[in-house]
Amino acid sequence: MIALHQLNRGLMIALILICALWLAIPFTYAVLWSLVDPAEPWTPDNLLPPVMSFYRWEFAWQNSLLQPALLNSYTLAPTAAVMTLILATPTAFALGRYDFPGKETAKLVALLPLVVPGFVTAIFFTSLLYQLGLAQYRFFAILLAHCILFLPFAIRILTVSFEQVRQDHIDAARDLGAHPFARFQVAYWPALKPGVMATLLIVFIQSIEEFAIAYIVGQPGFVTVPTLLYSSLGQDFNRPNAAVLSLILLVPNVILMLILERFLKSANPALASGKG
Amino acid sequence: MRLGRTATILLLLTPGIGLIVFFIGAVIYIAIAQSFGYYNLLGESGYSLEFWETLTGRKAYARSVRYSLYVGFWSAILSVALAYPLALWLRKPFTGSLTVSAILKAPLLVHGIVAAFLFLNVISFHGILNQFMVWTGIFDEPRRLQNDDNAIGLLFLQVWKNMPFALLLLTGAVQAISDDVLHAAQDLGAGAWARFRKVIAPLSVSAMQAALIIIFIGALADFTFQTTIGPTNRQSLAQYMTFFKERGRWNDAAVVGVTLMALSLVGAIVLAAAARLIFRGRLR
Amino acid sequence: MPAISIIDVVMRFDRFTAVDHVSLDVEEGEFVTLLGPSGCGKTTLLKLVSGFLQPTEGRIEIEGRNVTGVPPEARNTAMCFQSYALFPHLTVAENIAFGLRQKRLPAAERRDRLADVTGQVDLGDHLPKLPNQLSGGQQQRVALGRALAVRPYVILFDEPLSNLDAKLREQVRYEIRKITRDFGLTAIYVTHDQSEALAMSDRIFVMNGGRLEQSGAPEEIYRHPRTRFVADFIGSANVLDAEVVGEIGPNLWQVTTALGPLAVSSETGPAARRIPVAWRPETARDGAAAHNTVEAVVRHRSFQGHFTDLIVDAGTTTQRLQLPRSAAREGAQITFSIAPEDIAFLEPDA
Repeated sequence: MIALHQLNRGLMIALILICALWLAIPFTYAVLWSLVDPAEPWTPDNLLPPVMSFYRWEFAWQNSLLQPALLNSYTLAPTAAVMTLILATPTAFALGRYDFPGKETAKLVALLPLVVPGFVTAIFFTSLLYQLGLAQYRFFAILLAHCILFLPFAIRILTVSFEQVRQDHIDAARDLGAHPFARFQVAYWPALKPGVMATLLIVFIQSIEEFAIAYIVGQPGFVTVPTLLYSSLGQDFNRPNAAVLSLILLVPNVILMLILERFLKSANPALASGKG
Repeated sequence: MRLGRTATILLLLTPGIGLIVFFIGAVIYIAIAQSFGYYNLLGESGYSLEFWETLTGRKAYARSVRYSLYVGFWSAILSVALAYPLALWLRKPFTGSLTVSAILKAPLLVHGIVAAFLFLNVISFHGILNQFMVWTGIFDEPRRLQNDDNAIGLLFLQVWKNMPFALLLLTGAVQAISDDVLHAAQDLGAGAWARFRKVIAPLSVSAMQAALIIIFIGALADFTFQTTIGPTNRQSLAQYMTFFKERGRWNDAAVVGVTLMALSLVGAIVLAAAARLIFRGRLR
Repeated sequence: MPAISIIDVVMRFDRFTAVDHVSLDVEEGEFVTLLGPSGCGKTTLLKLVSGFLQPTEGRIEIEGRNVTGVPPEARNTAMCFQSYALFPHLTVAENIAFGLRQKRLPAAERRDRLADVTGQVDLGDHLPKLPNQLSGGQQQRVALGRALAVRPYVILFDEPLSNLDAKLREQVRYEIRKITRDFGLTAIYVTHDQSEALAMSDRIFVMNGGRLEQSGAPEEIYRHPRTRFVADFIGSANVLDAEVVGEIGPNLWQVTTALGPLAVSSETGPAARRIPVAWRPETARDGAAAHNTVEAVVRHRSFQGHFTDLIVDAGTTTQRLQLPRSAAREGAQITFSIAPEDIAFLEPDA
């Protein structure tokens, strides 16, 4: 018993150490790089950047495509979240509250968008848009693709929520003479609420992070934060700028994910993360 | 009445699953049709095996298939192999286990491109890894570690990003195995390895399959890691496909795209079947 | 040499002491029961014997060998779990043969033993099925068969019948007892069901709060409970606080209780002046007798078939008695008596 306890302690210290290296060092680097002042470059003989300032942050804000990228990302994501929720709800209701032949197959089919590789979807969706002559409506095209791509998450989570609505609660409400709206309020909503919140958050995060569709369909000219970061890692690789963009992409998501974790715990422990 | 019910259910399924089937169906259809010469944006359309014949005859195509399979296979295997011991360790809560699990799962929150950037910083020519190696005397001088030819860096990053996902699935599956069942195995003479091989792995094989499949498909079709930190002398299938698309060669892109889908499907089935055969000894 | 010796074993979890200085021996071929309420430490003791737990203090010997520190897989014990703990991914045959594979027995011998065991536990038709295709009783038999197949020196049962319905439980009791007897197995059986313990055991160890309260043959435990706890836990005896007045005859003692003055027959005599005494509800006799005649008012009556359960007010207390044929209604006055040999002195309270 004692030996096992000590082993665990040792393992844990080793693990926390490794993970500090695993997470802390890369992130410290990113923060430091984002603070490098262009007045003096950060050369390898210095442990810290010689001059630090928020110049890169200001520069990125004023001169790069960051503003349109942020605008695009943060309009796209909430719209996609709400639309996906609306599209998924009837299906989830059917899957969660009815029994019908082929239900399991339907649940599997709903996972299709996750199985087809993202770049295949992106490229041939673009091709489809060209065929239909709709290629110039980039925003709506990306919005539609995001909705469909993230429908599997929404359907999955909401189906579980609808399954958790208890028939005896509905019956009790009816028995006590509740009108449809009151029934919804008392029997459905408490079971659905965590699922609805989780769906909105997951689709939001997924949409903010999505790269393949935004990159392929958005070309040329339509930028989101990930595609901007990607291009800053490409031909004109500029480490401090990339550091700024990385942090902009990272920080809000970490916060949202932490909120999400709380909702998912109350909704369904099996779906503890929507990432895949 | 029955007809009405069926109609209601179909109506309810239309905006969700109906949309998915329509959209993904259209995408797959276009990809397949274009690979056989239909739906050309420029020039004539019509059935033709030309694109398949010329492309599959090319060395670059075969290399790219081999390379993507290599990345997909090893990313999936290494991530799962690394996640298993950790999942077993975290099966029972102990002081600090929540912290450990949070640290281990943190890469889930980091976007792939951000991860690639962080990794670039660490392994760059003047990065901390090189400096450390020179300081300890293992390297005589900084080495170029970026975009290494064997895709070691790429595999490392794939595992960094995907292991937490495998861990998430496996932890759930391993925690669902009751103590009594493990005790019973031990009581009947099964040592640690036999317990893993005969009880834990067979009982968590579904989660293992899910992790293998999802990681395999993701890594097989990888574009961002490959173009940022992957070897410069190799092309992944997604990269190859994008290359054709950017030159307007839709039919060639379609051939690669269909290949990619077929490999995803076949690879997923092979991995899932292999996992089941190895650990359950039967397919059903 | 005893088959199993538990020597002054203590098991602590953080601050909680689950097993508190317990010592006991089990003879070869004996069927013993650890009986007690939940949380009394009986399952912990079983886990110590099987090796899933290592004692904080003391040691355990099996076949005269100190097994402290030996892991479960290396001990010659086999356990039947309360949850059955069948491997859900293996067929009945594979479940039963699991331990044999771990021992790397040759295939021919595995087949023979499988055939033997399936005959014993009557599972012939179910070998290719998976556990979830079986009923509870059948699953129980697979668990038993799996444990028997390894031919253990000691077989351990952790409340194996608690998930079965009442009727099946009685039948499986006999089966378990018959099989352990046929195989000449040494068995430790953990239960909180006193009727199970009384019906099956060669010897019962009653546990409470991590300590051993009393051990002995079922009849002895039943007839001569030594402590207030044992008297109450087994057959829910009436326990009264008594004050000894004096010896009134050969092995006959006069005491005063809330029920009134009583004569108690005892060979050893009371250990203290203030001492609890106990008598069992079914020993009450209808009508007056030479000793211990009590007048009582029936407060509550429930007909049980072969007897009638009565809760009565007598003296300044309430007692329970069971009479074979009583027509007394609630509120009626009755007379009953208790023979002095049916009342026992318990150990004085600490």
